[in-house]
Amino acid sequence: MTWLYDFFNFRIVGNYANVFLDGIIATVSITSVCLVLSLFFGVFLALMRNSSNGLVWRSAAVYIQFIRSTPLLIQIYLIYYGLPSLIGNFFDETQTAIIALTIHTTPYMAEIIRTGIMSVSHSQTEGAMAVGMSKFQTMRYVILPQAIAKVISPLLGQTVVLLKDTSLLSIIAVFELMGAGLQMFSETVIATESYVTTAACYLMIYLVMLVISGVVERKLGGANAAIN
Amino acid sequence: MEWLIEKWQIVVMLSPFLLDGLKSTFEVSIVAIICGSLLGGILGILKTLDSKVLRTSIDCYLHVFRGTPYLVQLYLIYFVLPSLGIAWLQFDSYMAAIVSLSLYTSSYVVAIVSSAIFSVPKGQEEAARSCGMSKAQALFHVVLPQALKLTIPPMASVYVIVIKSTAVLSVIGLSELTRQGETSILRMPGDTMFIYCLVAALYFVYCYPVLRFARWAELRIGTNNH
Repeated sequence: MTWLYDFFNFRIVGNYANVFLDGIIATVSITSVCLVLSLFFGVFLALMRNSSNGLVWRSAAVYIQFIRSTPLLIQIYLIYYGLPSLIGNFFDETQTAIIALTIHTTPYMAEIIRTGIMSVSHSQTEGAMAVGMSKFQTMRYVILPQAIAKVISPLLGQTVVLLKDTSLLSIIAVFELMGAGLQMFSETVIATESYVTTAACYLMIYLVMLVISGVVERKLGGANAAIN
Repeated sequence: MEWLIEKWQIVVMLSPFLLDGLKSTFEVSIVAIICGSLLGGILGILKTLDSKVLRTSIDCYLHVFRGTPYLVQLYLIYFVLPSLGIAWLQFDSYMAAIVSLSLYTSSYVVAIVSSAIFSVPKGQEEAARSCGMSKAQALFHVVLPQALKLTIPPMASVYVIVIKSTAVLSVIGLSELTRQGETSILRMPGDTMFIYCLVAALYFVYCYPVLRFARWAELRIGTNNH
């Protein structure tokens, strides 16, 4: 067994199991909060982008294009250094990180949701209007459920990207899975165990998400799955 | 007015420095895009062959590179590989950057290429084979030319992702755009926000045309098919 310990020392990793567990919990909770927020705002941004008012859709488009063509790291820095000078130290680091990630993910979600909304046939809107639904009701009860079901797999793919993006938060000293790996590395100075364990934890979360997305797609799938 | 002049002086003073960084970002991303696309293209073609072992192993490769963040891959390649003690795996930061980015790019390209090949109707290959073409001839003269056209729009979006990922390389000390921005901030701590905005603007100048091209290609190839 000694050759194995030379290469990968399980005992040290065992000592840090708690740290990595905390890291996984932090990563998953940051991801879920950002997912909920970015889906919520994403629907609004998608509707804004589809609006017929020039000012509204143009400003939405500028926001989307800006976010899509600058790196997340720069956006994190801009929010991390810029937000305190705008509103003071109102949010702590984790909250700032969540705000930055939400601002980054919302346009991607919005673009996906917009594709979904546009793929729902127009007669659905007409039908809903004809039975006396208001514009809001049409969106809420007829269009959005169909749209979301159609784009569920790209949405899940974007969620995986979001999960991976949380690793960049370690650069602004937010504790999550990558931060756990860096902490282990700075305390033990063994690169192999620290970073391989980090990668393995990310893979584990990824595999769980793959299984979940398979189940969700099968449940929502059927006729809709063929469209994707 | 005074504010404008002051900021303009900063722009003039920093521009050679930041443009240097942009050049470095450009170089690294182009090399990684070329290497990654070649590797991804080869693996993508291999994935469409009738070999279960090949397909499963390429799928594993795909999942490993897509399931872990690029930052982790970079740390693995920069810190862990040298500790294995194999001479040609001792990368300096530039090599580590290129190798990790190429592998990362290839993991996206594999999926694009293989799904493009699968989307070419089966009849095309069968017709080519029945004209007496060999399997390789059918692939290179009939299937690939049709598939490659389909890959253009998604490839352009992947290239934007790769270009944006180069920002992460600042953590291993490569002097690309983000790193140059950070160094300038050390020189002028008062203008943190302004310098980051400048850096963001430079990334925008590089990425936005590629994004527009992706959109244009998507519309064009979409209309050609119908």
